[in-house]
Amino acid sequence: MNTLVLPDRRGGLRKNLAAVNWWLVIFLSLLAATGVATLYSVADGSWTPWALNHIMRYALGLMILMIAAFIPLRFWLSMSYPAYFFSLGLLALVPVIGEINMGAQRWIVIGGFQLQPSEIMKVALVMALARYYHGLDFKRVSNPIYLVIPLAMISLPVALVFLQPDLGTAILLGLSGIVVILLAGLSWRIVVVGAILGLMGVVTVIQLDLIKPYQIERITSFTNPEADPLGAGYHLAQSKIAIGSGGVTGKGYMNGTQSQLDFLPEMHTDFIFTIFGEEFGFFGTIALLGLYLVVFLIGTNIAMKAKSHYGRLVTMGICITFISYVLINTGMVMGLAPVVGVPLPLVSYGGTVMLTMMAAFGLVMSTWINRDQDTLRTSMSYYGRIN
Amino acid sequence: MVFSRRAALFSGGSMLLFGGIGYRLWQLQVRDHDDYQVRADNNRFNQRVIVPLRGEIYDRFGVPLATNRQNFRVLLVAEEVKDIAGTLAEVSKIVELTPQEQERVLLEVRRKRAFTPIEVADNLSWEDFARINFEGPKLRGIHTEVGYTRDYPFKDKAAFVVGYVGSPSDSDIDAIGDDEKTERLLRQPGFRIGKAGLERSYDEELRGKPGSTIVQVNAHGRVIEEYPNESDKSIQGGTLGLTIDAELQMAAMEVLARPIIEPAEGEEPEQVSASAVVMDVETGDIIVMASTPAYDPNEFNVGIRQSVWASLNNDPLKPLINKPLAGNYPPGSTFKLLTAIAAQEAGIKPSHRVHCSGRIWYGNRFFNCWKRGGHGTLDMKGSIKHSCDVYYWDLAQRVDIDKIAEVAHRFGLGEIYDLDIGTQSKGVVPSREWKKNYFASTPERQTWFPGETLSVAIGQGYVTATPLQLAVMTARIATGKQVQPRLIRAHADGVVPPPVIPDIEIKLEDLDAVRDGMNAVTNEWGTAARSRLEDPDWQMAGKTGTSQVASLQYDARGNRVKNEDMPRHLRDHALFVAFAPYENPKYAISVVVEHGSSGSGAAGPKARDIMKAVTAKNPSALPAFNPATDEPVKMASLAYELPASAKPVGGAP
Repeated sequence: MNTLVLPDRRGGLRKNLAAVNWWLVIFLSLLAATGVATLYSVADGSWTPWALNHIMRYALGLMILMIAAFIPLRFWLSMSYPAYFFSLGLLALVPVIGEINMGAQRWIVIGGFQLQPSEIMKVALVMALARYYHGLDFKRVSNPIYLVIPLAMISLPVALVFLQPDLGTAILLGLSGIVVILLAGLSWRIVVVGAILGLMGVVTVIQLDLIKPYQIERITSFTNPEADPLGAGYHLAQSKIAIGSGGVTGKGYMNGTQSQLDFLPEMHTDFIFTIFGEEFGFFGTIALLGLYLVVFLIGTNIAMKAKSHYGRLVTMGICITFISYVLINTGMVMGLAPVVGVPLPLVSYGGTVMLTMMAAFGLVMSTWINRDQDTLRTSMSYYGRIN
Repeated sequence: MVFSRRAALFSGGSMLLFGGIGYRLWQLQVRDHDDYQVRADNNRFNQRVIVPLRGEIYDRFGVPLATNRQNFRVLLVAEEVKDIAGTLAEVSKIVELTPQEQERVLLEVRRKRAFTPIEVADNLSWEDFARINFEGPKLRGIHTEVGYTRDYPFKDKAAFVVGYVGSPSDSDIDAIGDDEKTERLLRQPGFRIGKAGLERSYDEELRGKPGSTIVQVNAHGRVIEEYPNESDKSIQGGTLGLTIDAELQMAAMEVLARPIIEPAEGEEPEQVSASAVVMDVETGDIIVMASTPAYDPNEFNVGIRQSVWASLNNDPLKPLINKPLAGNYPPGSTFKLLTAIAAQEAGIKPSHRVHCSGRIWYGNRFFNCWKRGGHGTLDMKGSIKHSCDVYYWDLAQRVDIDKIAEVAHRFGLGEIYDLDIGTQSKGVVPSREWKKNYFASTPERQTWFPGETLSVAIGQGYVTATPLQLAVMTARIATGKQVQPRLIRAHADGVVPPPVIPDIEIKLEDLDAVRDGMNAVTNEWGTAARSRLEDPDWQMAGKTGTSQVASLQYDARGNRVKNEDMPRHLRDHALFVAFAPYENPKYAISVVVEHGSSGSGAAGPKARDIMKAVTAKNPSALPAFNPATDEPVKMASLAYELPASAKPVGGAP
């Protein structure tokens, strides 16, 4: 018997579709639709160059999500390490065949597709760590010896991404990895010690000038952007003006003056929330945050209900990565966080982020469908129990 | 269990952070919205000043003396150009740019923001402008613009009347930029204000009202859209209609510039420094106000070159001085007219006779009449006709200096006129009072000596007057009215009604002997018989004057050096005043030729020729220009030739 047989072969399409968590699909779609509408406005009322692509990418992402959802979680478990090493390989390739963009090498081109390996790594790292803790006896989680491997799994990609250099993604990557370790139940004592060591590490990095000047500028400028309105803080000041001038109800769709007049950079990617905020106002931004929160809570609910350790760790790790994107991006465009170049998931234009996010939610969906399975050890017992 | 706790912890933490983001959104979008709204508007809206067209100045028949000419300019926007020097070199193939000009452009590129247009060249001919436009696509960053620049078609011929415009200095801006809008207008690149003449005194009227427009700019300051403000359009400055007749002004300039002394074979004729004023004696209209040499006001407008300025400033003929108003000359024998009137008011009859033997003894020395052999016995009319000095020295002993001064004031000497034109000289009308004030710091010199009255009586000594004052004097003698000179006869809203001119307090018969004498000067073989007008309808009555600049010179043999042979700056000034026609006076004229040696030889003929032109045209009898109803004259349709240099630059598109 083929171990890769999809569940619908046995239960019928209707039954399997009923197993899908449609709320998750609906809210993800609403987010993507928000992205399409905003991209249409940013392009001054044009489907090109972004809005139409965004739709197609979302459609492709939805297909990937569904396929991933119907693949047994056990398969994903077994694929975790290979996926990690594949992503690590891609990351290592970046300095060799990568394309330089905005002062950093982040992209590689494979078969005509531009790929951002650091985005793929975000999901792969969560998968690998979940896989690691899935097979680890809980008693050993807080044993420092068993912390070496997960920390190494985190450090390698973080270092590679950091050297691209892409500070924002490196931080996000490290953060999501640590979150998975914490979710796995690492003792708080070790967390405190680790935090102190980490702080020392950061100091060392700065002392040794490993951070590029523009990165320091970007990080420090957010505290007082008005001090240097045409320098590093200029974009931030303009972003705040745009959001603030949106007011309660916004300037109206396609009427965002700040954005239409080039006051903002990267309007279709990192600063898309600014345009949205300018055009839709406080009601609009709160509603958008609400959408993200709902997606997050649906994911948290799935994680709580999942019986397998792998499933719940992957789901929660993905959810927190997802919500970190949102928090950092929105915080960044409003002067609460450094401008580090983090997109707003599903709304910002960007293929790799979109597809990896959708694939990640495919894993979440797979966890949902397989939530009652606890060990994931054998395929036969798994199918046996469902039937 | 651990997982659930931790997951709940992260969820709770995330929601807390979401709350923080939400709070931040409330801060920006609700609490501080108004502030950000203002900042967003400031970001993208700029108010721009629309520069009004300057009001135009016309002569009495609507011939433009100061207009606005289209100015074809080439501008460069630095941010659109990669190789600025190369682009300038390309432009230079069409419109020549000197290395200094290219250097200036490069300097400005460094100083200004990259999107600010910088002037590369202006005052292009239409052909060059068209070629730049044609080559435009090849010359990235090069733009063309049609602006306006002040144009004085008569160049130096009417320079002193209209004056000139120039860029406002910081002190000008402090002085007249009293409200913010005016100040912004004054700071517009290329904006000009009146710097001299009527341009200066009527600057506010001519300047017009600036309008404004709101422009939406993008983050780079580039204008995206313009919202014209219908209720705040710019309004062109008011038109001025002058009393001047441009045609006669030109004729007068030409006559004045004619050399006095025929140049020796192969030598350049000596340049003449002279001035002339022609007035309508009924209205006070100044028909001609000429001063030569003069400058070209267009040169000041575009920014005068240092070398030109220096040569104008150092020229001994003083081309920057408006001589009819600021030139201060001893009136010489023309003053005898006033002495004669004062004597009659002091009770001396015109029939009073004096014998001239060529000199008189007074005080402790001889006073020599200009005619060494003497004039014989003369009455008052004869004394004017022959300009006998001895006769007036006799009068000076019978009339008090204060009486002479009082009459001189009544006839317009020592007065500043309400001409709205700066730099008028007051001249000097000496009297006991005047001398006391003049020597206020040296009391021992304050006493008036009777001998000084003798000098004043023949227009020498302390007394000085301007050509305008002499013209006014002549007009008042001709009419017996308090004629006031004026230059402005119309504004944009219509013609200023001619002033009502009161009579002078004088017995009219006291003027008769003087007028008779003046008639005799030209028409009865007097001192200026050569300057007689032949036309029986326009008989001119005049008076010569030769005012001494230096004391008499004698050569080695003791012979008096002829005035013409002295160094130029020591030669006498030549004056002539006249009115015509004698019977029913219409026009008065005064001519002063600096160092012209002889009133009858240098000034008289010029006055005659100018008056000939004036009486032939008789401008006061012709219908004049009303800016409110009439179309101004097109330069192309002028009945007379403009000076060759006065053809408008470039063509119209």
